[in-house]
Amino acid sequence: MPGPIHPRLLRHARATRNYLIAGVAVGVVTSGLMIAQAWLLAHAVVGIFTTRQVAPYLATFGMLAGVFLGRALLAWLNQVLAHRAAAEVKSTLRREVLRARLARPTADQASSATLVHVVTDGLDALDGYFSKYLPQLALAAVVPAVVGAAILWADWESALIIAVTLPLIPVFMSLIGWTTQQAVARRFRVADRLANHFADLIEGLPTLQAFGRARAQARGVELGEEANRRETMRTLSVSFLSAFALELLANLSVAVVAVTVGFRLVGGHVGFETALFVLVLAPEAFLPVRQVGVHFHDSADGVAAADEAFAIIDAGAVAPTRPRLPAPDLASSTLRVREAGYTYPGSAEPALDPVSFEVTPGSIIALRARSGGGKTTLLRLLLGFEAPTTGEVSVDGVAVTDLDRGDWLRQIAFVPQNPGMVVGSIADNVRLGAPDASGDQVVEALTAVAADFDPYRSVGDDGEGLSAGERRRVALARALVRVRHGHARLLVLDEPTAGLDADTEATVISAVAASGAAVVLVSHREAVIALADRVVELAPAVVPGLAATEGVR
Amino acid sequence: MTLQTRTGEAVTAPTRTTSGGMARARSTRGTSTVALWREVMAAVRHGHWRLLAAILLAGAASGASVSLMGVSGWLISRAAEAPPVLYLQAAAVGVRFFGISRGFFRYLERLVGHDLALRMQAALRLDAYNHLARTTLIGRRRGDLLSRVISDVSAIQDLVVRVVVPFCSASLVVVGTTVMLARFSLGSALVLLASCLVAGVLLPWLTQRAGLRHDSAAVPTRGALASEVHELARAGQDLVANGAADDRISRALALDSELRRIESRAAWLRGIATGGQIIASGIAVVAALWIGGTAVAEGTMGPRLLAVVALTPLAMHEVLATFTQAAQTFTRSQTALSRLSQTLDEPPVGSGDASQQASGSPGLRVVGLDAGWPGHRPVVRGLDLTVGAGERVALVGRSGIGKTTVAATVMGMIPAQAGRIETAGRVGYLAQNAHIFRTSVAENVRIGRRDATDAEIIEALSQAGLDLPPDRLIGEAGTTLSGGEARRLALARVLVGERDLWILDEPTEHLDHETAQALMDDLWAAADDSPVLVITHDADVVARCSRVVRLG
Repeated sequence: MPGPIHPRLLRHARATRNYLIAGVAVGVVTSGLMIAQAWLLAHAVVGIFTTRQVAPYLATFGMLAGVFLGRALLAWLNQVLAHRAAAEVKSTLRREVLRARLARPTADQASSATLVHVVTDGLDALDGYFSKYLPQLALAAVVPAVVGAAILWADWESALIIAVTLPLIPVFMSLIGWTTQQAVARRFRVADRLANHFADLIEGLPTLQAFGRARAQARGVELGEEANRRETMRTLSVSFLSAFALELLANLSVAVVAVTVGFRLVGGHVGFETALFVLVLAPEAFLPVRQVGVHFHDSADGVAAADEAFAIIDAGAVAPTRPRLPAPDLASSTLRVREAGYTYPGSAEPALDPVSFEVTPGSIIALRARSGGGKTTLLRLLLGFEAPTTGEVSVDGVAVTDLDRGDWLRQIAFVPQNPGMVVGSIADNVRLGAPDASGDQVVEALTAVAADFDPYRSVGDDGEGLSAGERRRVALARALVRVRHGHARLLVLDEPTAGLDADTEATVISAVAASGAAVVLVSHREAVIALADRVVELAPAVVPGLAATEGVR
Repeated sequence: MTLQTRTGEAVTAPTRTTSGGMARARSTRGTSTVALWREVMAAVRHGHWRLLAAILLAGAASGASVSLMGVSGWLISRAAEAPPVLYLQAAAVGVRFFGISRGFFRYLERLVGHDLALRMQAALRLDAYNHLARTTLIGRRRGDLLSRVISDVSAIQDLVVRVVVPFCSASLVVVGTTVMLARFSLGSALVLLASCLVAGVLLPWLTQRAGLRHDSAAVPTRGALASEVHELARAGQDLVANGAADDRISRALALDSELRRIESRAAWLRGIATGGQIIASGIAVVAALWIGGTAVAEGTMGPRLLAVVALTPLAMHEVLATFTQAAQTFTRSQTALSRLSQTLDEPPVGSGDASQQASGSPGLRVVGLDAGWPGHRPVVRGLDLTVGAGERVALVGRSGIGKTTVAATVMGMIPAQAGRIETAGRVGYLAQNAHIFRTSVAENVRIGRRDATDAEIIEALSQAGLDLPPDRLIGEAGTTLSGGEARRLALARVLVGERDLWILDEPTEHLDHETAQALMDDLWAAADDSPVLVITHDADVVARCSRVVRLG
């Protein structure tokens, strides 16, 4: 169960703290108005009751109207403040999530779908948290105390009834929560799987159709839904109990106050005006506490959304930054890999066994490895996306991860195994490598890698419209312009010719060789490896099972 | 077939297709949410009675809290006249009763309401499933159609629990309270009714309208932000390596501030609506005091009723406080349901299921085939293709040219637009994105053949080169599979049945080189002497085939 206030959200975003303070202030003024409202109401009713005259109380009516107006203003103010706080926190989290994702672009714990969800709809759950839950929480903290004090001042016996009942609400709620927790937790997993049964079948429909099984499975949907309903209702009947206890206590307490105050009024122990004042005010002491219960799911959703965001932010957290050093010029400096190895956090087996080699200016190094040999991991170390867990990757004695990242990457042109594309034209994608490249230069680069496409052909979301081979060639052209018209002195290529036919491959190889930059490439093609000045064999990792030998890129 | 349901009990489906009453009503339905609602309601057993019960219970709960205030006011006013205590007993019992009953009614209402919501969701899910199962989905670029349907269907729950039941029950209470008050003071009862209409109907309606405007203004910005983030995630390495990351983040943040501007207008309006509701309740209270007070002064109303007339509006308006929220929920659910309704009203394309009858001659002969989606121009024209026993034929062509459309036509899922297809019916189709169900390994393999024995499943798994225990669960609580393992599990489905033809659709897509090579080795060994048609654009796969047919 999430706590009432997300501690990190509070620490993290100044907006939350300011908003809580403002919320409490609004709560204090609101309770003041509530008391005034009750008093004015009691005063007018009792006055007319005893004097049988309306005229003397017209001013009271006016004041009462003013109190309602004030409450309306406060409610509006609260909404606007809540929105501001939510918007502020959402912007902060959006920025940090995106920064974190790009700080470690290869830390892909969060899929792109998760990231899109978190940044757009996911964080919107914070709206409910800020606009409904937190204001109620602030009111619940302030109003019962202030209203209770007013009742205490007017009639201590009624205050005693409320003082006894009110704290019972959280006690009962947590008691019920505590006793049902196990039952709920036990059912939760079953219920969760049942709830996802439909989604699973719908997502699998194309597969079921291919085997002629889709229609027949409708009966499975029917039975699954029936089981889902039964199980969910069983869980709900338990979890609604706490709301039941809350309603019961609150209403019962108001009823007891009304009845006792009524009988004491008959006995002359309390005045009519006081009795009415207490009656009007008593429900207000309970209302905010009940509302907190009503909006509890807003809290749970908001906290879950914040947690999701923080998980991504944490995954992208880089080690505390020392001042980054300027990168040495790769045209004259050598990149040294010395006994560099890498083990992923939480993994027992190293992803990359220690390896050593040097990349001198203009040299071509081919990396050859069995699957699971850690080629991709090694390339990440070269780029400085990750720091090696053993050994070092350095230039002129400085670890790559200590270099200013922008300064270092400016000298590198990188073609990953599945190159990413941006929405726009093919030319836009090539120009990602060197924004200042002219139209002719873009066409030259494309031609050099046998990509004789129309540079103005449009590229959709996720490279739509380009085949895997075409994407690879566009990425190669992107790398070439970065060498020719940018500052790149090192090409890092991951399987640059996979999926290309022999002719195209030959063209690509000669373009790479002619670039003049140093090259580190991973390939299984003999024609590509033959190009290298040096071939580095990566030791295959120990492969006990299938999962270790195969990877999806 | 059998698929393990989540409780672990095996659910065996009869081969007879189940279809509820909803499918029959399909043709007569418009695209409105109301029609969809009626249809779903009709599919739930005793649906209308359950809805009525939920509304009455909710009305009783709200009515109890209004009555608690009214009767308490009377009790205290009566007490002020210092009558014998006996005269107060009935009112005291009433106060206690209303105090206790509210909680009970609310609890029961929630159970009945949620049960109904779940029943309606089940009916709608079945309807959606039946519709989608009848339209061919393979190879159609329908983007996020399936995931959208999954989330849209759940909107019916919100509509029941948060909109229909609260609104109907509050209407009951408002009418009941107005009638009761009218007996004491017609004027203040009418003011109360009017103020309830403002707070419960007019203001929520205005908020909803404004919300709609705001939503439609925000949709393009949201979409732009989503695609910006999507790109940033998918091309993250490239953007960082090319020094474009900061630029991208500022672009996303510019969209964020745009969104913020739009949302702040909506928040402003929401605030005004909430304030308006409080003002409406204020008007009702002050008017009741004034009108009731005048009546007391003129002697036309008993003085002890003044407190009742003045206090009831306070409790009444509390019931309406959630209505602006409900109006927004209504907008959201209505959008989702009308979108769903549109999807469900689309005529089915093709047959949905592939036909899987055995035929005499294994292999495939395609003569002069024009293939394309029904109602669209053919994407492939005049295709001639033969795959004989033991042959491995590659079907190549750039992406989007219609290779999977050919596969869907060959499997009989969509009709050929022209030409002839001679094929055995039992096609084993291995898709690059074959879905792995969150159930046991064995049940996943049984998709390929419903009545496969345990021994046959183990045999298929080992032929597919997958060393997993058949009873291992896959998914959240169980094992997660690597891409290569998932494809091998899908291969086991193909292997477990008798096949007259294999169609492999991009078998190596998204696998790294070594994994792909190992998979292809095993695939060729397993296919043995079966005819195989491989759809691919992977040059390494093409090199392994005996013949190549090029599209386009």
